[in-house]
Amino acid sequence: MPQLEIGGTTYEVDEDGFLQELDKWGRGFAQGYAAVEGIEGELTEDHWKLIDYIRDYYAQFGIAPMIRKMCKDTGFDLKRIYALFPSGPAKGACKLAGLSKPTGCV
Amino acid sequence: MKKNIHIDDFTRPGGQVTELDPAELDPLPPPYDKIDKPSIRKLTEEQRKRMDASLDGIVAIGLTPPKTPEEEKAFIDKFLAGIKKLFSADDNWTFLQPLVHTLEYCVKCQICSDACPVYISSGRQDIYRPTMRPELFRRIVSKYIKKEHPFLRKIKDSDIDLNWQTLARLGELAYRCTLCRRCAQVCPLGCDNALISREIRKVFSQQMGIAPKELHEKGSVQQLRVGSSTGMTPAALKNILEFAEEEIEEKTGRKIKIPVDKKGADILLIHNAGEFLAWPENLEAFAIILDAAGVDWTLSTEIAGYDSVNYGVWYDDFQFARVVIRQSQAAKSLGVRKISFGECGHAHKAGIVVADRVLTGDLIIPRESSLPMLEEIVMSGRIKLDPGRNNFPVTLHDPCNMVRLMGIVEPQRRILRKICPQFREMTPHGVENYCCGGGSGFAITQSTNFPDWRSAVSGRMKMKQILEAFQDVPGAEVKKYVCAPCSNCKGQFRDMFEYYGVWEKSGILYGGLVELIVNAMADLKKPFIQWEWH
Repeated sequence: MPQLEIGGTTYEVDEDGFLQELDKWGRGFAQGYAAVEGIEGELTEDHWKLIDYIRDYYAQFGIAPMIRKMCKDTGFDLKRIYALFPSGPAKGACKLAGLSKPTGCV
Repeated sequence: MKKNIHIDDFTRPGGQVTELDPAELDPLPPPYDKIDKPSIRKLTEEQRKRMDASLDGIVAIGLTPPKTPEEEKAFIDKFLAGIKKLFSADDNWTFLQPLVHTLEYCVKCQICSDACPVYISSGRQDIYRPTMRPELFRRIVSKYIKKEHPFLRKIKDSDIDLNWQTLARLGELAYRCTLCRRCAQVCPLGCDNALISREIRKVFSQQMGIAPKELHEKGSVQQLRVGSSTGMTPAALKNILEFAEEEIEEKTGRKIKIPVDKKGADILLIHNAGEFLAWPENLEAFAIILDAAGVDWTLSTEIAGYDSVNYGVWYDDFQFARVVIRQSQAAKSLGVRKISFGECGHAHKAGIVVADRVLTGDLIIPRESSLPMLEEIVMSGRIKLDPGRNNFPVTLHDPCNMVRLMGIVEPQRRILRKICPQFREMTPHGVENYCCGGGSGFAITQSTNFPDWRSAVSGRMKMKQILEAFQDVPGAEVKKYVCAPCSNCKGQFRDMFEYYGVWEKSGILYGGLVELIVNAMADLKKPFIQWEWH
């Protein structure tokens, strides 16, 4: 299993950098990972709004929210999400939110 | 670059059998003839230590090498025990006959090689010939199962040195075939070389517990545990359906209650659950059409009853049977008259065709494709349709399992000819189609550099076909639509189109069939297809 070191903590991740130990997630993980994902500087309020939304949905339903629902509920369109997270909603935002890689035919 | 591959190249420890050279791949039309990034990522040194990539540098399963000679021996013994079972009627009654036929009758005439999109697109790499896996397999059987005399093996040129490395490469090679079965279609002797790919995968999974995570652990195992390979629970499903109902109302002004667990409904519709999460417009369009046509239908919230996928059809007979039985039980408990499968190709094969080999007694419930039902609705005039609303170039992709395997060729075409004035066929099409490149689980295999391979190699022929179908309107300013009535094919198109920048360069959107039907509905205020969600 590959490992990733962020701010002195070692995390188990999959081959594509998705966190494997979901309970180890903390805000430091997201902030530390931001640079790897091409986001410069501190995460903004909008970044956190999306990350928190994804984590809340995951806590309630056990999966990542549909992208369309994510856009509707946060008020961000897809363009805005890509501006915030250059790798996109699944490979960027969900990864920073500490979710596993999406599975099934999605 | 190493083109003439010998069997010894597979058995030699260390090194790589073939290195793919992007410059030698079958050329694509401009502007796709030049691509500004390495087409296939290389594994890192650290990854190479953990995962075997000694076939072609690509990883689908990525085995870890054994640490001791004893471990290596145990691995080989286990594999051979699995191969032995393939030839026992008690263990493999489902596929024994075509397996033996293929092994005994193939004369290696290579007609199948010219039919194989992976082989041709790769720049005719020997390792991807449809006859290569069967040849390795045949030699293993000759030496270790039939135990043929060394002299006989010598004159038949059927020797092989089995070691861990050979098997690691064979296991990977079984995941370089999309099971599209174009090879089987053209074989003059009726051999099915794609079946050999699946039988190898089956031994690896059933005997050794080795399969891509996406197919097994996160796939069929998860589906049987929580209800869907996407991880979607019944509670999540309900949340998503509420969202879909809201969207339907916003888009069409219609208030539709999507029927769930309706006892005694005429039809249980089973979608690929990927639609719910990635392409909700597909399930919304189904609901709009069935509602407008007055069909008595329902969805189910039972385990596997709301996810038509059955990944076992790609790699494991046991997982296959478990899922088929759960789906039939879901239908039985609702007392529906029949099951209809939504736009998912492999679910058609699994649930409608292969399921016949598993289901017995009262679990045998009529099962059919939704495409003829949609055709009947469109042709009957029950819904008022205006083709002028679909006045953009449309081409049709044929999912291998629906079309080549099952012969469902015309319903989707009769619909498109009626509602899409600029419909044009790809060349070739129908039962002679080419795979999207994502077949047999490839579209969901998202790890390491495998996605690069399926965009650059296995999907290449389809990419070329799509571009050629639109060659009269190549520019991005003309919005175009590839109709792909299959979730797996759509997943492949999404990834492949992103990989090549197809929306930016050519303005091509992919989507299902029902979306085009709803988009043509004459009384809707606004278009249903939203091009901004490319």
